[in-house]
Amino acid sequence: MTDQVNRRRFLKLSGTVLAAGPVVLAAGPAALAAGAQPSGNATKAAPFVSTHRTLGLPKPKGPRLVIIGGGTSGLTIAKYAKKEYPQFDVVLVEKRCMYSSCFASNLWYPGIIDLEFLADHSFLDAAHNGGYIHVNATCIGLDRASRTVATNEGDIKYDFLVVAPGISYDYDKIGVHDVGEQIALHQAYPAGFKYPTEHVTIHRKVREFEGGVFIQTVPSGNYRCLPAPYERACLIASVIKHNKLKGKVVILDANPEITIKAPGFHAAFDELYKGILEWHPTSAVTGVDVANRTVKTEFDNYKFDDAAIYPNIRAATLIEELGLMAPPTKSNQKEADIDIRFYNLVGDERVYVSGDSRPMPYSKSGNTSNSEGHYVAKVLAARAQDKDITWTSPQTLCYSMVDAFPKQAIWVDTYYGYDAAKDAITGFKDTKVDNTRSEANGTAYLEWARGLYRDMFKA
Amino acid sequence: MDRREFVRLCAGTAVAAACWRGAPAFAEAAADFAPARLVKADGTPLQAAEVGTAEAMVFAYPYRGIPCFLVNLGKRMARPVALTSPDDGDYTSPPGVGPHANLVAFVAICTHQLSYPKPADSMIRYAAAGSPTAGAPGRIVCCTHGSVFDPAAGGVRISGPAPNPLLPVRLAHDAATNGLTATGSVGDQFFERFFRTYKPDLIDRFGPGGYRQPVGDTTPAVPLGEYSALVPAC
Repeated sequence: MTDQVNRRRFLKLSGTVLAAGPVVLAAGPAALAAGAQPSGNATKAAPFVSTHRTLGLPKPKGPRLVIIGGGTSGLTIAKYAKKEYPQFDVVLVEKRCMYSSCFASNLWYPGIIDLEFLADHSFLDAAHNGGYIHVNATCIGLDRASRTVATNEGDIKYDFLVVAPGISYDYDKIGVHDVGEQIALHQAYPAGFKYPTEHVTIHRKVREFEGGVFIQTVPSGNYRCLPAPYERACLIASVIKHNKLKGKVVILDANPEITIKAPGFHAAFDELYKGILEWHPTSAVTGVDVANRTVKTEFDNYKFDDAAIYPNIRAATLIEELGLMAPPTKSNQKEADIDIRFYNLVGDERVYVSGDSRPMPYSKSGNTSNSEGHYVAKVLAARAQDKDITWTSPQTLCYSMVDAFPKQAIWVDTYYGYDAAKDAITGFKDTKVDNTRSEANGTAYLEWARGLYRDMFKA
Repeated sequence: MDRREFVRLCAGTAVAAACWRGAPAFAEAAADFAPARLVKADGTPLQAAEVGTAEAMVFAYPYRGIPCFLVNLGKRMARPVALTSPDDGDYTSPPGVGPHANLVAFVAICTHQLSYPKPADSMIRYAAAGSPTAGAPGRIVCCTHGSVFDPAAGGVRISGPAPNPLLPVRLAHDAATNGLTATGSVGDQFFERFFRTYKPDLIDRFGPGGYRQPVGDTTPAVPLGEYSALVPAC
């Protein structure tokens, strides 16, 4: 389960990177333009894009840790890296001007929570309480040779960099190839797993649903939040049932079986939503006709009145643009080329990738990113002090609300193993599960989310 | 309260002996708060024999806004354990008190993400008979994220994401009356963090500043099942 970093390997790599820096700096912009970067297998970055000005920041009093992305991963790492190693000068860069969580967002649709529950959390408070600097900016470039990360507000020099940009959608994998069609599909029937304005659209859909067919699709692969599409289907079905509408939810699932908590979801489908919810396994989407409101699968076409189309996912495009992407042999979701235990880019121990852009087979959930963030903070503190660190597994504790009237939930709690011989993350470990829905679990679900907010935003 | 005032208070109460008979290491590390006699909901003194083994009792101490668990470990005895709190430093947990040395108390706030018992619900509880998450009987479990603590070993973490033990509350038992008194606690810095974290909720419940008020001479202890309307059994 645990393993020590090979100290000699670590020192060797550190030495390479440290030595590379000054040489490149001495060579000047020409070397940068030629793409001089510390070694590694990651795909080549696009040419370094920069505003050619430096972002105004106080002079760092210790090693500067820049974190790109203020989601669950970035917020957790920013706070806990500072706690683990107070000398760190932490700068968190987030492009959104307001926070709203993806986790727990399904609960808004049937009115279990309000938008405040998700969004009444301030980046400023998080930075103030955590003793770090929050910058509202978008990352546009990276030059690893000079340890410079560029944003639309200016460049920032880093000693350590964490890139945690989350996911992007991959509409090609559900047969929607034309970029115009992709945009039309995303605007009309968003998945609701990437950014908050999608949640607002889906909330409106559920509020406005007067009957007919609502399609929820489930992609293949390691998509973000495995139970979420099933949970959402249950919650929309519970609204249909509660409002006595003539309608149903149709789940088109690319997978042959419900991907997680299957007994609990099957029980809800059968016992609560007979005639209101249809689940179609092994029904991967092969195309969507937005104008005619039709989803195509290999064997059938499905007409819908409204829908949330969840395409396959990939690491955020930023990972590719910054040249941090693993080759297809290592990740079929364009995830980052990092050490699977210590999160540094292969060949560069100054750059780390965490959260849902990671290639490890962890469930891409809020709890995973939060618990992982606690560990990554320890890794960064150890690396800054030239110390070793023992690998620890993230935790995936994941509630699913299967009914809204009253709110009833099921849950699974699991960790992961590491196989040193194969240098691979193995499957679930120390798994506990409660597939019996209850109101007590429903209440615990809300407290679970509040706990994550407290952990990221409070002192 | 400073140490001289504490000495004065101890000298004036029936628990004076207990003040000085506690584990010395704990006495050094614990913040000394004004003693508060544990009473029942009707205000009459709580007897050690009235603390059941099936569930924890909840009482506020040392401040009105800080909930604590009183646990009867049954046939087990609590052993002192040397522990550390990142907020409050090193301490040694106190031994059990009472005729069978099996009564212990802890601050009922999960040290992971600060879940605590409220009138509406409590995610944290003493799972006397065990549970799927607890793994074994007699542990304190927080359902929010699955942290498990051992009340017989100073509240040390057994499993789950909590990095630190639950914080202890020092009890004194008066053999003459069989009564119980809370006399001190580790957690002053932790309490500050808790207050900052929950300030709007605490103002709603206790009024501005009310959560920071000392509990006074007595503090009511009620079973968790009566204190909180909903207690998950994870």
